[in-house]
Amino acid sequence: MDLANLATQLNAGTILPESIVLVTLMVVLIGDLIVGRSSSRWVAYAAIAGLLGSIIALYFQWDIVNPIAFLGGFNGDDLSIVFRGIIALSAAVTILMSITYIEKSGTALPEFLVILLTATMGGMFLSGANELVMIFISLESLSISSYLLTGYTKRDPRSNEAALKYLLIGASSTAVFLYGVSLLYGLSGGQTELSAIATGIVQANAGQSLGLAISLVFVIAGIGFKISAAPFHQWTPDVYEGAPTPVIAFLSVGSKAAGFALAIRLLSTAFPLLSSEWKFVFTALAVLSMILGNVVALAQTSMKRMLAYSSIAQAGFVMIGLIAGTEAGYASMVFYLLVYLFMNLGGFCCVVLFSLRTGTDQISEYSGLYQKDPLLTLCLSICLLSLGGIPPLAGFFGKIYLFWAGWQAGQYGLVLLGLVTTVVSIYYYIRVVRMMVVKEPQEMSDVVKNYPEINWTLSGMRPLQVGIVLSLIATSLAGILSNPLFTLANNSIANTAILQPIIISSAGAQSFAPTPKTPPAVSLTDRN
Amino acid sequence: MLSALIWIPVVGAACIGFIPMQGNRARSLALAIATGMIIWTLVLLSQFDISLAGMQFSELLPWIDTLGLSYSLGADGLSIPLVALAGVLTWIAIYSSSENITRPRLYYALLLLIYAGVVGGFLAQNLLLFVLFYEVELIPFYLLIAIWGGTAKRGYAAMKFLIYTAVSGILILAGFLGITWLTGSSSFDYNAIATQGLPLQAQLILLTILLVGFGIKIPLVPLHTWLPDAYTEASPPVAIMLGGILAKLGTYGIIRFGLGLFPETWAIVAPGLAIIGAISAVYGAVTAIAQKDIKRMVAYSSIGHMGYVMLAAAAATELSTVGAVAQMVAHGLILAILFNLIGVVEAKVGTRELDVLNGLMSPIRGLPYISALLVMGGMASAGIPGMTGFIAEFLVLQGSYARFPLPTLVCVLCTGLTAVYFVILLNRTCFGKLDNKTAYYPVVTWSEKVPALVLTALILFLGIQPTWLVRWSETTTTAMVASVRVNTTQQIAIKN
Repeated sequence: MDLANLATQLNAGTILPESIVLVTLMVVLIGDLIVGRSSSRWVAYAAIAGLLGSIIALYFQWDIVNPIAFLGGFNGDDLSIVFRGIIALSAAVTILMSITYIEKSGTALPEFLVILLTATMGGMFLSGANELVMIFISLESLSISSYLLTGYTKRDPRSNEAALKYLLIGASSTAVFLYGVSLLYGLSGGQTELSAIATGIVQANAGQSLGLAISLVFVIAGIGFKISAAPFHQWTPDVYEGAPTPVIAFLSVGSKAAGFALAIRLLSTAFPLLSSEWKFVFTALAVLSMILGNVVALAQTSMKRMLAYSSIAQAGFVMIGLIAGTEAGYASMVFYLLVYLFMNLGGFCCVVLFSLRTGTDQISEYSGLYQKDPLLTLCLSICLLSLGGIPPLAGFFGKIYLFWAGWQAGQYGLVLLGLVTTVVSIYYYIRVVRMMVVKEPQEMSDVVKNYPEINWTLSGMRPLQVGIVLSLIATSLAGILSNPLFTLANNSIANTAILQPIIISSAGAQSFAPTPKTPPAVSLTDRN
Repeated sequence: MLSALIWIPVVGAACIGFIPMQGNRARSLALAIATGMIIWTLVLLSQFDISLAGMQFSELLPWIDTLGLSYSLGADGLSIPLVALAGVLTWIAIYSSSENITRPRLYYALLLLIYAGVVGGFLAQNLLLFVLFYEVELIPFYLLIAIWGGTAKRGYAAMKFLIYTAVSGILILAGFLGITWLTGSSSFDYNAIATQGLPLQAQLILLTILLVGFGIKIPLVPLHTWLPDAYTEASPPVAIMLGGILAKLGTYGIIRFGLGLFPETWAIVAPGLAIIGAISAVYGAVTAIAQKDIKRMVAYSSIGHMGYVMLAAAAATELSTVGAVAQMVAHGLILAILFNLIGVVEAKVGTRELDVLNGLMSPIRGLPYISALLVMGGMASAGIPGMTGFIAEFLVLQGSYARFPLPTLVCVLCTGLTAVYFVILLNRTCFGKLDNKTAYYPVVTWSEKVPALVLTALILFLGIQPTWLVRWSETTTTAMVASVRVNTTQQIAIKN
C-alpha cells in the first residue's frame, strides 16, 4: 500500500471538528498550567469558541462525498454530523452555565472544562464510530470523563456518592457491553467493522443463533444505560441529584444523544437480521421508561430528581422513533433530540441560576418566584411546558412528529401510551409552574423572600443569562419556525447510506414477520 | 383577513405581557384590541356571502410539510357566528373585569391569548392546526382559574380542568392521527380527508374517540364533573370565557369533525347521542334545582343547554343543525349575561347563597336594575318567546322531533324544568324582603351595568329578529347534512 493510497484511506479531514475540540482542550489545559488560576477568566470563552468552531466545521462537512475515514473506523455521514452537532452544542451551553457554578464551588474551572471537552470529544467520536473497538474506546472516554465530572465537587458527600454509584454501574454496564461486542466479533468470524459484521454473520450462518441474541441483549444493556432507559435507569435519579447541575445538563442531553447515535448506528448496521427482536426489546424499554419516568416524577420534591425522572420519560418518547424504524421515525428522533437540547438545557440553566441565588433546589422553595425574578420564571415555565408538550412550543412539535411517525409505522399502542403519559407529565411540570406563578405574595417561601438583588454584572453571570435567553427564544420559536429543523432532521436520515436498506425494507414490509434482508453493500472491499 | 383575528390579539398579548405599563393602560389596550376585533368581525360578516356553502376568506400557507401541517384558515356558516360570539364575549369579559385586579398585565394578556386560540380553533381547516389551537387554551385557562379564582378550592378546580382538557386534547389528537393515517392521506387538511373508504368498524372507533374527546369539553353527562368546579371557582369574566366560548369549541368540533368527517357513520351513533343529549338536559336541569349556590345553578344549567345542541347535532336535519348553531350562540350570550350579573351580585352583596340572598328587587336599597336584568336573563335561558333562547330551542326541538321523538319530548320537558330552577333562583334572590342588618350594598355604577345591557340588547334583538341569528349558517348546514341524509336512506334501503 503506497502512501498516497493510505492518505485517501485515512481521510483524516473527516474528523476536523473533533480535532478542533482536541486543540481547544489542549489550549485550555496548557493555558491553565502556564497562566495559573487567573486563566479561568478566558478559558471558558476559549472553550466555547472552540466548540462553535467545531460546529462550523461540521456544517462544511454536510453531504461529504467520502464519509468513511480511518480505514473504515469512522463514518462521517450526515447522521453522525447531526449528532456530533447536538453534542457539541450541548457542551457549549453547559459551559455557559458552569462558569459561575464551578467557581462558587471552589474548584478549578479549567480542569472541569478539560474533562467536559474530553467527554464531548468522546461523544462526538461515538456518533460516527463505525468499528467495534472505536465504539468501545469513544464510549469509555465519554463514560470515564462523566464519572470524573459527577464527582467533581469533591467536598460534597452527595457528589462523591453519586460518582461512586455512577462508576460502579457504568463500569459494569460497559463490561456487559464489551462482552456483547466480543461475541459479535467471534460470531462474525473476526470482523470488527459494523457493516462487515453483518456480512460475516450471514456468511457464518449465525443469523438465528443464540449467540447473536445474547450479544444483542448485552449490547442493549450498554446502550440502555447511556440513554437511561428503564430498567437500566437506576443511576439517573441519584446521579442527577448529587452531581453538579451543569454536569447533569450535559449528561441529560449530550451523553444521551451519544447513546441514541450509538443505538441507531450499531443496531441498524450490525443487527439487521434481528431487527424485529431488538425492536421488541426496545418496545419493552420504551413502555417501562414512559410509565416509570412519568409516574415516579409525580412524587418528587427535589427539582433535580424530578428532571431526572423526566429525562427517563423523555428517553421513552424518543425510543418510539427508534422502534418505528422508518425514515420518519429516525428523523423524528433527531428532531426531538434537537429541541430537547434547548428545552432541557434551558430548564437546567434556570435550576442552576436559582440554586446559585438561593442555595436550594427544592420544588417547594420556588413558591412565589414570579415577583422576584420574572425572567427565570418565564424561562423555566416555558421550558417545562415545552417538555410537557404544550403548543406552540418546540416540544409540542417534537412530540407530534414522534407520535405521527410511530403511528405511521403501526405502533398504535406505544403512541397511545405516549399520549396518556404526556398528560401525566403535564401534571408534574405544571406543578412547578404553579409554585412559581400562581402562588400569592404571602405564600412566598423563605428563600424567595430573601432573594438577592438580581445583578447580571457579576463575573460569570452574563454567560448564564445568555444561555437562558437563547434557550428561551429557541424553545418558544423552534416549534413555529421549525421547517429548517425538520429539513435538517429529514435530510440527515435520507442522506445516510447505512440506513437506506432498513428504511426501504421497513417501508416495504408492513407486516412484522422477520423478512430476510440483504446486508448493506460494502464499498470498501479494496481495502486489503 | 382571518389571520388578523388571530395574530393581532397575540401581538397585543405580547405587548401587554412584555412592555411595562400600568394596569389601566393594559386594560385599555386589551379593550381596544377586543373592540377592534368586533369591528373586524362585522366587516367580515358584511363581506360574508350567505349563499355559499363552502369556505370563504380562505388562507393557505405551507407550514410543516413533513407533518402534513399547513396554516390553512377558512370561515363558513358554521364558524362565522361563533367567531362573532367569541369577539362579543371577549369584549364583555375584558370590560367586566374588575379595575383593580391583581397582576393586570398577565390577566389581560391571557384573555387575549384565549380569544386568539378559540378563534383559531374555529377557523382552522387543518386537523393538526385545530389541535394546536385547541391545546393552546390549556395553560391560559389553568392560570386564569388558579390565580384569579374564587375560594381556596381554585387550585383543585384548575388542576381538574387542566387534566380533563388535556385528556380531551389527547383523544382528539389520537382520533385525528387515526383518521389521517387510516385514510392514507399525507396531509391533515380538512378537505383532503375522506373517511368513506374506511371499514365501518374503524370509522366507529375513530368517531367514538372524537365524541369522547369533544364530549369532555362540551361537556356531556358522564364526562362533565370538571365543569361545576371550574365554572364556580373561576371569576365571572373567566367563567364567561370558559362557558361562553370554550364549550362551543367542543360542540363545534363535534359538528365539524364528527358530523362532517363521518357522515356515513353518523346515522349509527346518532340515536345514542340523542339519548345522551336528553340525559344531559335532564341531569343539568334536575341537578340545578338542587343547588344552593346560584353560580353552581347556572353552571349546571349550562350542561342542560349543551344537551340540546347534542340532540340537534344527532338529529342532523337541516332545521336542527341550524338550531344547533343558533343554540350555541344563544347559550353563549345568555350564559354570559347570567355569569356577569351573578358576578355583580356577589361583588355587591358578598354572597352567592340562595338561603342568604333576598329582596334584591327592592328599588332603593336593593339592586333593582341588576335584578331586572337577572329576571330577563333567567327568562331567556328558560326559553321564553321573544328572546333568543326560545328561537334556538324551538328550532332544535322542531328539527329533531321527526328523527328522535322521545328524546325531543324529554328535552321539551327539560325546558320546563329550566323554568323551575330559574323561578327558584329569581324568587330567592330578587323577591322577598331585604335583611335590615346586612342590606347596605354599594351602588352599582353605570359602567358595571354596560355589559349586561349590551347582552340584553343582543338577546332581545336576536329573539325578535331571528333571521340575523340563523341566516349565516343555513347554506352551510344544509350542505353538511345533505351527505348524511343521502347515506342514511341508502342504508335503510340496504337493510330492507
